[in-house]
Amino acid sequence: MKKNVLSLALAAVMALSLSACGSGSSETTAAPSAETAAAADTTAAEGSGSAPSEAAPSGDIPADVQKIIDRGVLKVGCKSDIPKFSLQNTATGEYEGFEDDLAYEIAGDIFGCTADEAKEKKLVEFQGVTAKTRGPLLENGEIDLVIATFTITDERKETYNFSTPYYTDAVGLLVNKDSGINSIEDLDGKIIGVAQSSTTKDGFKAYVEEKGLTVNPEFQEFDGYPALAQALATKQIDCFSVDRAILAGYVNDSNQILEDRFAEQDYGVASAKENTGLADLVESKVTSMLSDGSMKALQDEWGLQ
Amino acid sequence: MIKGLFDGKRWLALWKAIPEYYVPGFFMTLKIAVAGLAVALILGILFGTFSTMKWKPAKLLSRIYVEFIQNTPLALQVLFYYSVLPMLFSSSGFRIPKFVLGVIGVGIYHGAYISEVIRTGIEAIPKGQSEAAQSQGFSYIQTMSYIILPQTIRIIMPPLANQALNLVKNTSILAMVAGMDLMYYTDSWGSERGFFAQAYFTSALLYFIICFPLARLARYLEIRSMRLPAPKKIVFEEDGVC
Repeated sequence: MKKNVLSLALAAVMALSLSACGSGSSETTAAPSAETAAAADTTAAEGSGSAPSEAAPSGDIPADVQKIIDRGVLKVGCKSDIPKFSLQNTATGEYEGFEDDLAYEIAGDIFGCTADEAKEKKLVEFQGVTAKTRGPLLENGEIDLVIATFTITDERKETYNFSTPYYTDAVGLLVNKDSGINSIEDLDGKIIGVAQSSTTKDGFKAYVEEKGLTVNPEFQEFDGYPALAQALATKQIDCFSVDRAILAGYVNDSNQILEDRFAEQDYGVASAKENTGLADLVESKVTSMLSDGSMKALQDEWGLQ
Repeated sequence: MIKGLFDGKRWLALWKAIPEYYVPGFFMTLKIAVAGLAVALILGILFGTFSTMKWKPAKLLSRIYVEFIQNTPLALQVLFYYSVLPMLFSSSGFRIPKFVLGVIGVGIYHGAYISEVIRTGIEAIPKGQSEAAQSQGFSYIQTMSYIILPQTIRIIMPPLANQALNLVKNTSILAMVAGMDLMYYTDSWGSERGFFAQAYFTSALLYFIICFPLARLARYLEIRSMRLPAPKKIVFEEDGVC
């Protein structure tokens, strides 16, 4: 009995020390990057490191935005594998796409320069995220913003701040050509692969209900799109269903996207719940870009409808 | 500290998710672990004794199995069973049920390790003992069951328990191929709501619930096997004279 109590106590101590390590490491990883950024940016080199709160010149810049200015770089989580939206160039390591340009636009607003200058000065530090990692990374402060085909839902709004939608996409269905599946009705009893933390499943059910069809497929979730593409190619799933923007990157000779499109969904720029100042800034930037047509222009530039 | 760890709303959401996510996941993992452990033990005992046999082909077969499985990652093996193996049966999308996939995945993998555990256990018994048994007219089976294996069990119990626990934990690799196990549902719910702290803590607790009794059982068996057998009343008193 005594032994049991002892072992439980030991487990508790270990759990505590684990969590302590967790918070400690996040702090230490944040510190060096902030230092290097400050060193690179000569305007914010001195003083900011020692007393960031004092460095705020005036009261109208929120503390969370000021922190980013002091750091000299905006950390943004973007997808690295979606053509046109955000694709990491394997040769240069640069992130290229509509969402990355949007990040530069926002960075320009934060640092008081144009988007092109922000790009030139590398004021945005991109980090590749997946549907699964973007939430936790945002919450623990590793990144300031998520611009990664992040669908706005009511549930997510409880956890993160979302901007006005900057793009509306729909979910598509990718199937093998030799599978004999030509419409959504053929999917009854088949296996549909979806990405973890995607809203595809609910969207599919709502769409089927709306059309009055009785299609009852089985849903299986995968961690990442390459795993889904591989499962489809090896026929372990019958259908690969995610946002059409993402699907477009996986079309090849042996598969096709079905006509059906459902679950229109809005992508928003997400920030951590407590960073309200940053959220307001992003919100005003996105709405102004939408109203003056520059958002449309940017989408056209990347060939998005 | 982890964000939202003590947020009551999140724990409430978790509570509601338990019947739909954690219960089927937990039982799937438990089923895979039990069946996988049985497969691993059978394979382990079979190949473990093979590798101690004097008959060369058995030894060779055992070596090939052990070396090949031990020196490739489990993740790769599971992916192989998942996507390549069905191709061998047919090209039109044959699918191995997830439960079977899990059982062969961890069963074959840990079978190799258990085989090594058993081999080293048998080899740890001084050779003189089996020679002595032979000189007393014991057959191979008798030597094994009366002399070697009772001593072996005591030696192999701790590493064997290690393997059993690792097997349980390694079932989580199935989540990678939508294995419908505990880890799969944990990821599924965690990423759906973004409440990762709650999702993973609960999952850890459930794995613990499976592993801890197993560890205790192994410890109990280990202690029991260390007990020396009670000295038998000597029946053949004449034998003692010569």
